[in-house]
Amino acid sequence: MGKENEMYILGIESSCDETSVSIVKNGTEEIATVIASQIDIHKVFGGVVPEIASRHHIKNITIVLEECLHKANMTMEEIDAIAITYGPGLIGSLLIGLEAAKTLAFIHNKPLIPVHHIAGHIYANSLVKELKFPLLAVVVSGGHTELIEMSNHYKFKKLGGTLDDAIGECYDKVARVIGLEYPGGPKIDKLATIGKKTYKLPVPLRDDSYNFSFSGLKSAVINLVHNEEQRGNKINKENLATSFQVVAIESITTKVKKAIIEKKIKNVIVAGGVAASQGLKEAMQQLANELNVELSIPPIKYCTDNATMIAAAGYYAYLDGRIADSTLNAKSQDKLI
Amino acid sequence: MRILYIDTSSNYLYSAISQNGQIITEIKKELGHRLSEEALQEIVLMFEKAKLRPHQINKIIVVNGPGSFTGIRIGVTIAKVYAWSLNTKITTITSLEAMMLSSNKNTYHVPVIDARRGYVFAAIYDNKYQEILKPQHIKITELEKHLSKINKYEIITNNQIETWPEKETYIPNMKKIIEYFKDKESISPHALNPEYLKLTEAEENKLV
Repeated sequence: MGKENEMYILGIESSCDETSVSIVKNGTEEIATVIASQIDIHKVFGGVVPEIASRHHIKNITIVLEECLHKANMTMEEIDAIAITYGPGLIGSLLIGLEAAKTLAFIHNKPLIPVHHIAGHIYANSLVKELKFPLLAVVVSGGHTELIEMSNHYKFKKLGGTLDDAIGECYDKVARVIGLEYPGGPKIDKLATIGKKTYKLPVPLRDDSYNFSFSGLKSAVINLVHNEEQRGNKINKENLATSFQVVAIESITTKVKKAIIEKKIKNVIVAGGVAASQGLKEAMQQLANELNVELSIPPIKYCTDNATMIAAAGYYAYLDGRIADSTLNAKSQDKLI
Repeated sequence: MRILYIDTSSNYLYSAISQNGQIITEIKKELGHRLSEEALQEIVLMFEKAKLRPHQINKIIVVNGPGSFTGIRIGVTIAKVYAWSLNTKITTITSLEAMMLSSNKNTYHVPVIDARRGYVFAAIYDNKYQEILKPQHIKITELEKHLSKINKYEIITNNQIETWPEKETYIPNMKKIIEYFKDKESISPHALNPEYLKLTEAEENKLV
């Protein structure tokens, strides 16, 4: 380590369509972050094309690394360890960050810390305020919808998750059906603030588990739009957005409420891209007030995929003794444990 | 002068370190799906065996395609990050050039890599290794038309190619490859990218 009690971790994230590198001090202080987004490239295809994503990651990787070190005014010698998202995600995308991280660890003789993408989303919150345990992480993104209980740092227990589509995926699909451009999730969230709940949609999976299901809700919206079109009726986009969002969020908050009570949760954190949703933020705040638990939602810049959260999580993973060697492989699917 | 050679464009990892024209250590290993786990590990072990550290390399020669997209990216990412991080000189060659040099016959050299669905990645070089047909993604029937115009040629393939009957399996002569390309002009690591020679399917469909 550079100075006593100071640990600078360089994080790399490339699990989907963002190439990102960040340097974080002691898991809590962001020094510099660079993100090369490919949103505009994939827009024309209506979603992320894995092969195209990989091709752009490899194009960007050294430029992003260089910019980040430059921004931090640091050299590789001053970095204490390399943290890398090894999964889950798109395998071809993950591999670019992974090979880059392994190469840097080898060349500069630094510890290599494997970080699960979801652990990254959770630890985005430690860049904002200290985590308190027992903690409930509500992970909501384009690829995930999960409730994770944490008894302490880096002690994860999955309570439940989606049985089919992720909530963010469902948002994007609904947006597509009503003609909004990819990525449509944030646009639905915006429309929902002006619409009214006029369309009747089914509340998914009202059961005793901590699981979710969004494919039924998604199909219900698609059928509703098609039926209305066939009848020659115009869809009120704002009202449909609101009707959809109310139901989607309610299915989350119902299970979150149950977990807070049953697991005696002190701190609820929301993580992942959908944490940027205004509708979800308001519903979670209301719930937190009602049950008197601390709520933390990271600022938008930490909600979408970024390497800052990976470097932050990497610090706690390191303290937990999680070090990998150069045989570390990418995993498109992997449980958070 | 120490040169590091890396080729992960097929099922095999081919890597070597040469010192003043002599190979001091090398790897020729079929890794298949384990390429992402083991390629770098094998290279690390090669350095340990040679008692060398990465900064003691003066130049990297990396094969940047064509071939397996994922495979190419593994070798190119390692080489690119390595060269950027240590400011090491780096240059690229194609897998077809590497294959061409493994042949000593006094004929035309035709390296061919299976690209499925009746297509191959191929090029034609003469007996002095001069390019006659530039590397491309080409229909086998088209390539055959080009071949009908030349008389003596040798087909060189890099693995179990199913689209080509008479095959001459390729084992790289890394000493020869390194010697032949050691003075090739270096490029900036930022500009170093795979040579896929083929658009992605999504892009091809968009063009139709």
